[in-house]
Amino acid sequence: MADDAPWYEAALLVGVTNALNVVADSPLESLEPARPSAEAEAVFAEIRAFYDRADVPTAFRRVAGDPGYLADLWGATRRVFADARLTRRHKEALAFAVSVTTRSSFGTALHLGEMRRLGVGERGVMEVLGVTQMFSSYTKIADTLQLEPDMGDIAAVDHSPAPGGAPPARPTHSPAARSPEAP
Amino acid sequence: MPTVRLRDASEYPEPIQKLFEAAKAWFKYDFAEPPAMSRVMAWDPELGAFHGRAMKRAMTPGEWTRAEKEMVAAVVSGVNACAY
Repeated sequence: MADDAPWYEAALLVGVTNALNVVADSPLESLEPARPSAEAEAVFAEIRAFYDRADVPTAFRRVAGDPGYLADLWGATRRVFADARLTRRHKEALAFAVSVTTRSSFGTALHLGEMRRLGVGERGVMEVLGVTQMFSSYTKIADTLQLEPDMGDIAAVDHSPAPGGAPPARPTHSPAARSPEAP
Repeated sequence: MPTVRLRDASEYPEPIQKLFEAAKAWFKYDFAEPPAMSRVMAWDPELGAFHGRAMKRAMTPGEWTRAEKEMVAAVVSGVNACAY
């Protein structure tokens, strides 16, 4: 995980997970079409296949009144949860951690179910829950005392390119060679 | 700026300083001064011991690698909007 690509994947996953959760956890049942259109049903079929389940998760049913929007939302969701540099299994664990942290009952149940379906055992679930809980503690302690970051030097700078991007220009001289006035 | 005065490592008793050395080994990094969070948790050694063991247990490789767990920790910190 030394280069940036996994972190881009993780950040995009966090965003999409939260987007699904906020709609699914809101009182929006009345928006779900009683009879989804044929276009919406086609997307629903893809969703059922992706999750290998008979029903369609709430977050997608809520937006099915606009099949075009549903299709794009689903496309984004499928993209961020698909195996890439991060595995789908790990992505479900990240989404579970995000959902627990944001108190999303929809997301917590969905991603807990997905982790188990993808082979994560009870020990693995507890490990993710433990990390989530411990860092929910550390973050609040740090915020309460307004601690300033002091561990950034642990991670070495890596110049690997992000997906689809050109490699960043490497510095041609060391910081020590800069003039004393340089910021 | 922190709302409390963070004690220097030298102000802590010997047993705590050993824990600071253990933290260096855990992070594989030679801190000039223990991280602020380590010094805060050491303020109450009894709590720090429980909390630290729980953290270490949670972060030790098991079904997930340490790197995978660090990423879980990072997204939780991000969602909590914690810069530390």
